[in-house]
Amino acid sequence: MTLTSFTTADRIYATGLRNQWHPVVPSRFVAPGAMRKVTALGEQWLLFRRSDGALSMLADRCPHRGAPLSLGRHLGDRVACWYHGVEVGADGTVTSVPGLPGCNLEGKKLVTSLPVREVGGAILAWFGDEEHPEPAELTLPDPLTDPAADAFLCYAEWDVPWRYAVENLLDPMHGAFLHHESHTMFAGDTTAKFRIRETDRGYFFEKTDQRGVNFDWVELCRTGVDWVDLSIPYPPSAGPGGPFGIVGMVCPVDEHRSGVFFWRYRRVEDWQRDSWRFLYKTLIEKRHWEVLEQDRVMLEAMPADADQRENLYQHDLGVVRLRRLYRAEAEAQSSA
Amino acid sequence: MTDTWPYLDVHQSRTHEPTPYEYKLAATLEEVFTHEGHELTDVVRGLNARKVHTADGAPWTEESFRAEMNRLGA
Ligand code: FES
Ligand SMILES: [Fe+2]
Repeated sequence: MTLTSFTTADRIYATGLRNQWHPVVPSRFVAPGAMRKVTALGEQWLLFRRSDGALSMLADRCPHRGAPLSLGRHLGDRVACWYHGVEVGADGTVTSVPGLPGCNLEGKKLVTSLPVREVGGAILAWFGDEEHPEPAELTLPDPLTDPAADAFLCYAEWDVPWRYAVENLLDPMHGAFLHHESHTMFAGDTTAKFRIRETDRGYFFEKTDQRGVNFDWVELCRTGVDWVDLSIPYPPSAGPGGPFGIVGMVCPVDEHRSGVFFWRYRRVEDWQRDSWRFLYKTLIEKRHWEVLEQDRVMLEAMPADADQRENLYQHDLGVVRLRRLYRAEAEAQSSA
Repeated sequence: MTDTWPYLDVHQSRTHEPTPYEYKLAATLEEVFTHEGHELTDVVRGLNARKVHTADGAPWTEESFRAEMNRLGA
């Protein structure tokens, strides 16, 4: 097993909370009949897709002597390790030991295999520890299941600890400064008062005196997977349909890196939906990307000890709350 | 599909680089949305007034505009 339950709270805080779902990479990163090596929660994994589309996620570690299975060969419904040819099925069972037929490794489930789901074009996996191999219930973000909403996934890889990427989303006030020159966040006050409002799935962090003008509120949702929902106004040039929303998720890759997932969604139907999609693909996607790059440049430039030497003020309540929550969970998940 | 870190790809929703016709239509559509409004009749009128026509040069109708958006936006 790879996700050990005797990990320290510091290690969990650095590499991602266990016993929940996390996004891994976009679905399109693993074509039918292909495999792909990925890092997530500080561990090495192998995504393996059969030609009929069925996906599995295995620890990237041969049960024989630990060679990476990702260097091996895709055999349709199993993978063969390059080192001595041991074959492992999609559920982690050793199906064959070619060098010693009948060897007692055969038929044993010796490789960790994580439960996976594919949602809105992204692969989600259940990262349970030894005591929690069975996945907990997963409630998908409603904007991704609402038939009246239409979404594009944008995925990017940042050299940023996962917590900084989530904290950035719980910090709406940066919109009016960092993104001041952008096509969507130029308006609104640069001063604001915020409050936290509890919900049954997390909490809102929102301005008390402005809504629908800039990046004015965010909801943290913990529904088996952690995600945020927020909304940003579009200028009239984007056509009918009002603001666009963002569902955001973060993959803790390792203690220094994150995969960020942003679904840009809009509640539009019929020709309004089609014209938004056309504009998005042709012109808007690039502008959104430029805004996202501002976040990446800022977050990647933050010093490693940024969160050790701060002087916080009222706008940082959403971040403080988030840290307290994650820290407490990391403590609870460590057996130390 | 690249395997190298980091993956930073501006365009993830496109199937092709837009043609000059698509770029021009998109830019004009933004202008029309800004100055004429968000109703289908406004949009068709605004495109035709700017002489930005269908790929084969015909003025837009509501039907042809819907069909073209569906083709380009699906
Ligand atoms: S290490 Fe994989 S077969 Fe020996
Ligand atoms: Fe931002």
